[in-house]
Amino acid sequence: MTPAISDALPTIGLAMLQVAGMLAVAPLLKAGIRRMKARLQNRQGPPLLQGYYDLAKLLGKEPVRSETASWVYAAGPRVYFAAAVAATMLVPVLIAAAPLEAAGGILLLVGTLALGRFALATAALDTGSPFGGMGASRDMTIAALAEPALMLGLFTSALAAGSLNLGGLVRNVLQHGATVHPADLLAFAGLFIIVIAETGRIPVDNPATHLELTMIHEAMVLEYAGPDLALVEWASALKELLYLTLLVDFFLPMGIATSASPGAIFVALLAWAGKVFLLAIAVTIAESTNAKLRLFRVPELVSISLGFAFLALAIRFL
Amino acid sequence: MMPLGPAGGLPAALALRIGISAVTLLAVRRTNAARQLAFLGSTIASIVTGMTAAAVLQAGSPVHGVLLVHEASQFALTYTVDGLAAWFLAVLSLLAVPIAIFSVGYVGQPHFNRRSVFLGVAFNALLGAVEIVFVAGDVITFLFGWELMTLAMAALVATEHEEPASRRAAYLYLVMSHVGTGCLIAGFMTLSVASASLSFSTLLSGVAVGPVRDGLFALFVLGFGVKAGVIPLHVWLPDAHPAAPTSISALMSGVVIKTGIYGIVRVCAFGLGVPRLSWGVIVLALGGLSALLGVLYALMQHDLKRLLAYSSIENIGIILLGLGAGMMALAYGRSDVASIGIAASLYHVLNHAVFKGLLFLGAGDVVTATGTRQIERFGGLLRRMPWTGLFFLIAAMAISGLPPLNGFASEWLTFQALLYGFRSSTQPLVHFLFPVGGALLALTTALAAACFVKAFGISFLALPRSREAAEAHEAPLVMLAPQAFLAALCVGLGLFPGLVLRVLEGVMTSLPGLQPRADMVSGGLGMISGFRAFDHVAPVVLGTALLGGAAVAGVLAAIGARGFQRAAERAERAEQNISADQGEGVRGFQPGGEALARLKASRSRRPRRVPTWGCGGELSARTEYTATAFSKPLMMIFRAVYRPTRQVEALAEVSPYFPQEVRYHSEIEPTFERYVYGPLVRRVLRMADGMRVLQAGSLHAYLAYVMILVVTMVLLVWWRG
Repeated sequence: MTPAISDALPTIGLAMLQVAGMLAVAPLLKAGIRRMKARLQNRQGPPLLQGYYDLAKLLGKEPVRSETASWVYAAGPRVYFAAAVAATMLVPVLIAAAPLEAAGGILLLVGTLALGRFALATAALDTGSPFGGMGASRDMTIAALAEPALMLGLFTSALAAGSLNLGGLVRNVLQHGATVHPADLLAFAGLFIIVIAETGRIPVDNPATHLELTMIHEAMVLEYAGPDLALVEWASALKELLYLTLLVDFFLPMGIATSASPGAIFVALLAWAGKVFLLAIAVTIAESTNAKLRLFRVPELVSISLGFAFLALAIRFL
Repeated sequence: MMPLGPAGGLPAALALRIGISAVTLLAVRRTNAARQLAFLGSTIASIVTGMTAAAVLQAGSPVHGVLLVHEASQFALTYTVDGLAAWFLAVLSLLAVPIAIFSVGYVGQPHFNRRSVFLGVAFNALLGAVEIVFVAGDVITFLFGWELMTLAMAALVATEHEEPASRRAAYLYLVMSHVGTGCLIAGFMTLSVASASLSFSTLLSGVAVGPVRDGLFALFVLGFGVKAGVIPLHVWLPDAHPAAPTSISALMSGVVIKTGIYGIVRVCAFGLGVPRLSWGVIVLALGGLSALLGVLYALMQHDLKRLLAYSSIENIGIILLGLGAGMMALAYGRSDVASIGIAASLYHVLNHAVFKGLLFLGAGDVVTATGTRQIERFGGLLRRMPWTGLFFLIAAMAISGLPPLNGFASEWLTFQALLYGFRSSTQPLVHFLFPVGGALLALTTALAAACFVKAFGISFLALPRSREAAEAHEAPLVMLAPQAFLAALCVGLGLFPGLVLRVLEGVMTSLPGLQPRADMVSGGLGMISGFRAFDHVAPVVLGTALLGGAAVAGVLAAIGARGFQRAAERAERAEQNISADQGEGVRGFQPGGEALARLKASRSRRPRRVPTWGCGGELSARTEYTATAFSKPLMMIFRAVYRPTRQVEALAEVSPYFPQEVRYHSEIEPTFERYVYGPLVRRVLRMADGMRVLQAGSLHAYLAYVMILVVTMVLLVWWRG
């Protein structure tokens, strides 16, 4: 047993480092997108560190919970956070291997994120407020519609790379070098739409609104306050960063370190930051140039994504 | 028990069931004794069955035997417990034991107590019949068990025969089952003529050749599909399962419908020779259809037991998706790939039995406590029934396919079967069905999650929606302990899929033409499909990571709370200083009385409890989100499937702008019942009407028929002789 533990130590260390790093960067991404969006609207926008200020403020607030709620209400944000953290360990960020590659691949990642969503949606029903139920219902609906498109998009790329394991997938893509296959472009477009939907961005959801008829994610977490809300916010930011990293891994992993040398990792860090920044710009542009869709128009958007994924599959394997 | 050995175990269990039933019938006047005897006795019989199954699974060699011999004709009812039969027997005993213990408490409630004798005997008869179906070694034994099972189940569905709905459900079940059994008899007769034998070992060794195989496949899929509740043969299931007492529903959904799956695996996949590609495609398509439509209909149900019944249809679909992928792989000769699909479907058979059994038992608790099955009348039950709620939540998460619980493990394997099947397929175009099946499975899983967020959240959380729910009581230990056992299985079977696969490996090597890869199991903890590089999973590692993440969340929240406490203490000290200084006329920060009390209370480290904001009004059960509202977006999005109709009626006395009462009625169209079965029933009735000409009621006509028949037969004999 002891050798197994000592073997596992570097893995655990790596996983903790990656989680700590991603947790540290995640609020920056959210604030960065907000600032870029403000700039596009000729506004000043919040400072880049606003995400950290918000989290620090929320964490330091008095924990307040609804008196109608049970333990499920408190467990929701914690499971949501735990799922986001666990998912972070399953994705290669700087090194071409996920820290917890032993745990599983894409299917496990999607399942873990679904676990977090389930926990938060269930907890949202606990306060008795109609907003929680509304948010939970809409969030589960959109997630259900997005799931097949997400899976099919991931499958197409994964089957082309010959592995459902994220580390293996990245290594295979690196090995074969960058080829701009039309299927990749289609799959990327499809997955980008899904990332927008899953992270609650315009045109699917508006992260800045608290208008009852339009909010989805915000309605779900409306009753949360203080440290509970901080956990939800932080996990959401982490999830968004994770989805962007996933897009990077799938379609343009070049630059990622294949060895653990400090130089390679430094290069990988720069490459990763640059690519995530580009994607953040893309998200910003998508948010700024689109209007929010009506809830019942979202299925159309998602079916476009599903169509892209099918086309990608057909082009790739026909 | 052990001295009997594996060979004697099964007849012993059956004999025990018959004996228990007989004694129970004798105790007809003492319902309590009868109930305890019947159900506790049946646990012993189920344990004996389980031990037989375990022995076979461990030894890897089948057990044969004879149940009954008719001396004069040398006709024998035989049984064979091979790997496949042992797997299903193991599933049966794993579920039958907790259900029987639960029933001791459940059937004891006043509502059912007077039927204790009937329920006890029928329960044992049903279990015995299912056991016979799983182990039958020849056609006659099989059909005997099959019919006994049908009758026992029909009787149980009609337990509350005073209700017209129950009688109708039982009747529908009987009719559909017998159409199915008719198909099976036709199929088995064709096979037995071709092989000149009634024994399964020769009958099911691929005796049929040529196009007749396709016909046989269709007959068997139809016959077994009715029992399994495959869409479009499912219409009896959502009526029958909720009508029975809940612990019996658990048995029906958990085990009895799996006899259909058993038949499809035994006969269609491995009994008619190497399956053709089109068979695999058909099974896959039926699976996809059942999975998607099953969960879509489940979403719209607000009767908890009907919801669970529809969700059983969905899970049968998932089982068939894996099986279909396996059959397709068998058809193009990749037995290693096929074994992934077969393993996935057999694994899901076990998992579905466990979590659906648990969900039904939880529903039984809730229905007992509140006296209603309507989700809209529950609410807030978690406070009144904490244990039932916890177990129901675990099962709900498992059925939603969330890691690291058991539903995820078998769905993961099903995905592998579909994706690896795609990769290894040599058939152009047809292989696109695999990823399409994968997308369908993803959609189904996500919809199931939505469905069970609704089922759990609306039932157990927030405020009680009715007086009954507000006054609900937790179930007694005898009903909770079985649920604890099943909940532990949900976790255990999910965390250690490798152990399950190791057992399944033995099952699969016993099936003809199936060769699982040697490296599918990795160290008891994980699963691998295909090559290691393709994909693998180790839920235990994820479970540890989740615990780590939860710990991080806890630490963060604790740091925040600590910071808040310090701030609160500082403020308090400042306040004391101020009040001390006040004599000197120093003006400064001065927290009011209420704020101070709040700060003091917060030092107790407990989060402050405040009322939920009621949007300006008073928060009550009437302002809560309902189950109907929860599933409304999906109803709108899938309206092509549901074809919903709604009626809104505003009753106003003075002006239409001030309605006194608004009545809302919404329903979805029962597509299959209306467009498939409606015309079918009408046509059958019309044909029956037409045949009335023959049955004229005149004795002379009947005598003439007899005369004509005799003459025809004489002529026939004369002509052939």
